[in-house]
Amino acid sequence: MRLRFAAAAILACAGHALAAEGPVVPAFVEETKTSGIDSVYTGEWQYMVGGGAAAFDCNGDGFEDVLIAGGEKPATFYVNKSTRGGALTFEKQTSGLEFDAMTGAYPLDVDGDGIMDVVVLRVGENIVMKGKGDCQFTRANEDWSFAGGDGWSTAYSAEWEKGNDWPTIAIGNYIDRKQELEPWGSCTPNVLQRPKPGAKGFDTPIELTPSYCPLSMLFTDWNNSGTADLRLANDREYYEGGQEQMWQVRPGQPPKLYAKEDGWAYLRIWGMGLAGYDLDGDGYQEYAITSMADNKLQTLKEPPKDGAAPKPTFKDVAWPKGVTAHRPFMGNDLKPSTAWHVDFQDVNNDGLADLFIAKGNVSAMPDFAMKDPNNLLVQGKDGKFIEMAEKAGVASTETARGGALVDFNLDGLVDLLVVNRNSPSQIWRNVTSGAGNWIEVTLEAPGSNVNAIGAMVEVKTDLGTQTREVTSGGGHVSGQSGWVHFGIGEATAAQVRVRWPGEDWGTTYAVDANGFAILDKTAATATAWTPPR
Amino acid sequence: MSITRRRALQLGAATALLGLLPATARAADNGGEILRQWYKVVLMLVRHTATYSPPVASRAFAYLGVAAYQAVASGSTSLVSLAGQLNGLKALPPRDPAKTYSDAVITHCVMASAVKSFFGNTGPTGQRVMAAAEKKLKGDALQGLAPDVVEASLSYGEALKAAIIDWSATDGGAVIENMGFPMAYEVSKEPGHWNPTSAIRQQQFPLLPKWGQNRTFAMPSGASCGLPPPIPFSEDPSSAFYKQARDVYDVTTHLTPEQVAIARFWSDDPMLSFTPPGHWIAIAHDLLAQEKAGLDRSAEVMMRLGVAMADGFIGCWNAKYQFDYVRPVSVIKKLIDAKWEPLLITPPFPEYPSGHSTESGAAAAVLTSIYGENFAFADRSHERDGLGARNFPSFTAAANEAGISRMYGGIHFRPAIEQGLEQGRCIAQFAIGLRTRSST
Repeated sequence: MRLRFAAAAILACAGHALAAEGPVVPAFVEETKTSGIDSVYTGEWQYMVGGGAAAFDCNGDGFEDVLIAGGEKPATFYVNKSTRGGALTFEKQTSGLEFDAMTGAYPLDVDGDGIMDVVVLRVGENIVMKGKGDCQFTRANEDWSFAGGDGWSTAYSAEWEKGNDWPTIAIGNYIDRKQELEPWGSCTPNVLQRPKPGAKGFDTPIELTPSYCPLSMLFTDWNNSGTADLRLANDREYYEGGQEQMWQVRPGQPPKLYAKEDGWAYLRIWGMGLAGYDLDGDGYQEYAITSMADNKLQTLKEPPKDGAAPKPTFKDVAWPKGVTAHRPFMGNDLKPSTAWHVDFQDVNNDGLADLFIAKGNVSAMPDFAMKDPNNLLVQGKDGKFIEMAEKAGVASTETARGGALVDFNLDGLVDLLVVNRNSPSQIWRNVTSGAGNWIEVTLEAPGSNVNAIGAMVEVKTDLGTQTREVTSGGGHVSGQSGWVHFGIGEATAAQVRVRWPGEDWGTTYAVDANGFAILDKTAATATAWTPPR
Repeated sequence: MSITRRRALQLGAATALLGLLPATARAADNGGEILRQWYKVVLMLVRHTATYSPPVASRAFAYLGVAAYQAVASGSTSLVSLAGQLNGLKALPPRDPAKTYSDAVITHCVMASAVKSFFGNTGPTGQRVMAAAEKKLKGDALQGLAPDVVEASLSYGEALKAAIIDWSATDGGAVIENMGFPMAYEVSKEPGHWNPTSAIRQQQFPLLPKWGQNRTFAMPSGASCGLPPPIPFSEDPSSAFYKQARDVYDVTTHLTPEQVAIARFWSDDPMLSFTPPGHWIAIAHDLLAQEKAGLDRSAEVMMRLGVAMADGFIGCWNAKYQFDYVRPVSVIKKLIDAKWEPLLITPPFPEYPSGHSTESGAAAAVLTSIYGENFAFADRSHERDGLGARNFPSFTAAANEAGISRMYGGIHFRPAIEQGLEQGRCIAQFAIGLRTRSST
């Protein structure tokens, strides 16, 4: 939803001096009990994966509201009632999104009316819910010819293919849940729902076969070409003859898998979560892929230096970067870890993206840690990450699945929501002392892709250049649509450019530190915005 | 070759001449099919249970084979108990002569129960599969039987399973932690010795370093079929060591499509397949299914195969950690070509001898003793993984191909393959020599 409140003066700098050596240790306070959020993702076998959350603003106040999947129980929706910098406060509200059998959800303004819609992933029929405003939603499968299917859906991503006025949605499906004796090897087809030519709504789905039981998928511009491809994290537990995949998706053409001949490297892991971020500033994103007993951080093996097109050959740098997170870093349970939701966010505003990983045993698997703390890997200036979850106060050992790293109280610090299986979801407020300055921007574009999904946002400060892709998908059945956050250290202002979807880099906007800015593609300057409360 | 090994080969040859198993043997009920269905479940569980590296899988196949065999032998006038023949296996519970039993129900019960014990650590989907299989196969086994027969058979099956599990608990391989990777281990810094070959943190220490000291099944000890030392390390380009590395490099940089297919077919990676011993169990399963073998024959084949391969891995691991030999990838990258990459994932443990070669040598020897030389067969065990079928003129040919596949895959030097196959053939003679028929 477009923000209701127009420009206002950006608040004065609230930044603090950064620590002289090493990254500032982030600090979080758990506010689950007082937040109003009281939700449990639960259920038997069919809910061993999943447990996601969607964070998005559906009432135009700039604060992101939350939908949390409940598994076999109805999902719960919460309106964000927090005030700026205050305690995280939510109020349960009936929204129309309270479906049972929900594994996760992603916000997406499908029809481009400026009111956020939601794609609901389920064990059974998936449902696309049209936003009506004020956080009320109505089913739109029939109106938009959205094929809900009858699968066990565990992954999603969306983009606007160049020239289209309607999104392309990819849905990842898990195993055939009716196969009791031979469930392995029964991965059901993933599908791609493209726009119906010349009309509103979706065309007949295209099967993305072979399908290998993805637990995450992400349309991402991995080669910095201005066009996204579909990256999948596939769960090797269930496929036969499978591997990690990336589909080349080009307008008007059938999807094509990247193959060995293209440079695609064979990788077979328990792929469970996926997130991208250009960590080294070379214009190409690194990808974190979560798994069991090991996690990957992939970077292009041979990034071209001469402007040539890179090959999709990635190498793993998780170990040298310190993000293998392969077993618990605290406690006595040192068995291998099980990792799910993953996201890059700068939690201490030092201008370096940090990495959060949700951890939790699949279901009483004795060879893997039962007390498996979530990771908060904070990046240092040398590009290596340091585990700080315990010091930061977010090292929960509940059985985590999905999550969202969002500035829920609009104080410039990224807060944390984690969805647990069979125990209440948890929420933490970021109260880091000594954090750096920040900016948060939102993109507005004319046409149907109003939130500019697929855009690249570049922020230049004295620290250097940071670039983030605006995506819809990834993580582990959890997504968000709202402010794009950047920590900028001691900088007091930033130069911001956007590479709008399918176009070249646009105007450079000046954005002051510690404030929110609306970047309207049609405007020459950024519009400052102030939270209403 | 050691004296022990020569004796073993002589023993095996003599036993093979006697003709172990009549191909026409048939059980009177559906026990053979029920047993094979359980093996299908086990093959899936091996692939999908995180602790089931190849040595661990071979152990489970051995105990399950012995359990199934004893389920039949306990009520047979022609089959001989393995108690006293297998190391540490003392008297097993007898059946009550006053009661009537069903071999099929006992077999189902002992398999269901033992599978739950060996794979109790599998994930939620495996648990669901075990429960569904037990329900279905129990129904198949119980069909048309009197309640007292069912009760007696189930009760005996539980007692037999308990005895087998008790026996298994003391062999040194019952507890697997950290997926088999030790939490502490001193990696040799000497050249020519194993060092980590991947960037996976868990695999910086080698897999199951003490497996070679486990109690063996039919052979006296893990050292019973010892091997000569591998070629000594040298960086001299004229040395035998350098030449064996160059051999791997030359072969792998000029692989034909057929060689690539062979490497992939026998790759048998843990967690992505039913492992090398599972591959041979799958071959045996399909052969038994084709001939619609009865319970006694099915159980005996699976028992001998399982025992031979489990002993094979113990013997192989014993040698691996005796010599602690370096992998080709470490050598070739250092001495020949820093950018060289093997086709297959280099397993995280010492090189010499090749595990797949040892167990393939053992498996082929057992199956040859049963089906005879030059028994042609089609191996369709990887069709679901899209690898198609491969045809072999004999089990020996299949084992030889499995062995050389490791060189095509770039994970073994040639001597490790040749010596591994030889070691496997030696070890198999102890399983082949087990007395199973009262007439032999």
